[in-house]
Amino acid sequence: MTADRLAQVAIRGYLALFFAYLFLPLGVLVGAAFNASRYPTLVPWEGLTGQWFADLLADRLMGEAAWNSLVVGLGVVAVSVPVGTAGALVLSSLHARARTLLYGFLVSPILTPGVIIGIATLIFWNRAFGVPGGLMLTVVAQSSFIAAYCMLLVLARLERFDRAQEEAALSLGASRLQVFRRITLPFLAPALYAGAFIAFLQSFENFNTTLFVVGTDTTLPIRLASMVRQTMSPSVNALAVILIATTVAAAAAYEVLRRRGR
Amino acid sequence: MSELRQSVVVQRMVKRYGRVAAVDDVTLEIERGEFVTLLGPSGSGKTTILMAIAGFVQPTSGDILLDGRAITRLPPERRNFGMVFQGYALFPHMTVFENVAFALRARGRPGEEVQRKVVEALDLVQLSPYAQRLPRQLSGGQQQRVALARALVFTPHLLLLDEPLSALDKKLRADLQLELKALHERVGLTFLYVTHDQDEALSMSDRVAILREGKLVQFGRPRELYERPATRFVADFLGKSNFIAGTAQGGDGGTLAYSAGGLTLRQAVAGAPPAPGAPILVALRPEKIAVVADTPPDTANAVAGRIAQWSYSGTHFQLLVDTPAVGRMIATVPAWRCRIEPATGATVHLGWDPDATVIVAEDASADSPH
Ligand SMILES: Nc1ncnc2c1ncn2[C@@H]1O[C@H](COP(=O)(O)OP(=O)(O)O)[C@@H](O)[C@H]1O
Ligand SMILES: [Mg+2]
Repeated sequence: MTADRLAQVAIRGYLALFFAYLFLPLGVLVGAAFNASRYPTLVPWEGLTGQWFADLLADRLMGEAAWNSLVVGLGVVAVSVPVGTAGALVLSSLHARARTLLYGFLVSPILTPGVIIGIATLIFWNRAFGVPGGLMLTVVAQSSFIAAYCMLLVLARLERFDRAQEEAALSLGASRLQVFRRITLPFLAPALYAGAFIAFLQSFENFNTTLFVVGTDTTLPIRLASMVRQTMSPSVNALAVILIATTVAAAAAYEVLRRRGR
Repeated sequence: MSELRQSVVVQRMVKRYGRVAAVDDVTLEIERGEFVTLLGPSGSGKTTILMAIAGFVQPTSGDILLDGRAITRLPPERRNFGMVFQGYALFPHMTVFENVAFALRARGRPGEEVQRKVVEALDLVQLSPYAQRLPRQLSGGQQQRVALARALVFTPHLLLLDEPLSALDKKLRADLQLELKALHERVGLTFLYVTHDQDEALSMSDRVAILREGKLVQFGRPRELYERPATRFVADFLGKSNFIAGTAQGGDGGTLAYSAGGLTLRQAVAGAPPAPGAPILVALRPEKIAVVADTPPDTANAVAGRIAQWSYSGTHFQLLVDTPAVGRMIATVPAWRCRIEPATGATVHLGWDPDATVIVAEDASADSPH
């Protein structure tokens, strides 16, 4: 009885510690964004303020960075989803050895450090073809590994695809294109949405690859890093609050849509 | 419409996967409007032949002919063959109506025609009330009927069915066998049906092709296959059979005398009897054996033995009889005219007429050393 009690208390205590470890830093960070103190801190509490958010909105560079992040994110989605899907379709049509080989090759960008991908992209496109660093090169660099994530998602769904459906559609006289549009694509749709969503998030928060290819342009994570380096203003916290809120809202919206889609 | 009903020929088809021949030199001629069944155990090459006719499998050699024209290299979407798949392969995101309409829409038929033909096809399989349901909202039998309607709606040259009933329970399967047979008569289309269930094959088909290890063993009407199996395999696969190995002695007037286990037995033969001294194998159906208790029966062939085991099934007694001459025999006797009281260990006499048995060939085994 008492041993049970003790075990229960211990488990609860452990859980409390666990969640504190996860959420306390976030709590401090969010709290500091509303503290009137000139330093990003929770204590001493000098009063509630929206000052840091106002500063952020007034910062023209910040607006530009946010816009750039949005553009790059959409660009990455537009490249990664079709490329990843094509890769998955090719893979699922191959047999044993060729499949394993190509799979390893296509997945390798995920395992490659982001820094390397950034540098490699820059050297290849810039040195060899004279493409300058900037948003376009950022889309290219990020897509080279984000497309692999999309591919994995689509591949996982393809594994569950009943190939007899394609054969049935062909036997009913549909062309290969009609089969893809009317049978395969509708089946893949959930994986495509998930892929688009994950591609956007991955792009939006990417720092290490972007750093090498973004040139003189700037994205939100890059801007954030330079702010942290230059100042210790709580507007960095304000930005973090906005990012957290956006991500949580997007994830929640995605989940709601997914469940409704069932 | 009737000029669309074509006959299909599979000509010397071979399909190899690596060193295995899934289909080994099979020739089949299917007539217009026929219900033909490919029957064989799992792995005998039935699906491979069906898929080659549908165009999804490219034969290693040989041809598929439609009305005398080779279509071996024609892609499946241009063959105009309806197909019912083992798991139905219905499109899960489309309603029953859209599933059935698929072939017509793929052909770009006008909306009015699509509407009319889909309604007709759904009527044909009695599914009109379910037009707006999704496949997953239907029972297995209903899904099976959707698959049929979908494959028939565009008046195909031929309907191919790969074990369409195997996913259903026994009772439903029996109902749908009758429905399929009736449907075949109503639409008058050529049906090529694949199954490993011999009862299904015998009860539905005009002709049955028996396959074994990729080879066509025998092709004929159900009755003919059952009564005159060509090989041991056919006799064994279509129902039960006893086998008696013997040596031919001599023939006279349509009867062959042969010796087996020290007895002389008689076998009716049409045409030239096997040469004296040749080994022969005779197949004997259990239901063609008369069983009597004491005196030997007045049939041309009589063998004595002891009942090793027996069982009663309501309609029949089944007896396992050990005979010193020809080994263990199975006999089934209709219960209402069984002239003995079955008991384990009891001595009985088995009798049969010369025309009750049939000479069969041994099957060449792929794994036997040559
Ligand atoms: N794609 C394939 N690759 C390799 N072997 C195959 C393939 N398809 C069928 N086989 C082999 O060919 C033989 C016949 O198969 P199948 O036609 O499916 O038989 P059935 O339909 O009579 O059960 C089997 O031994 C099977 O293993
Ligand atoms: Mg099969």
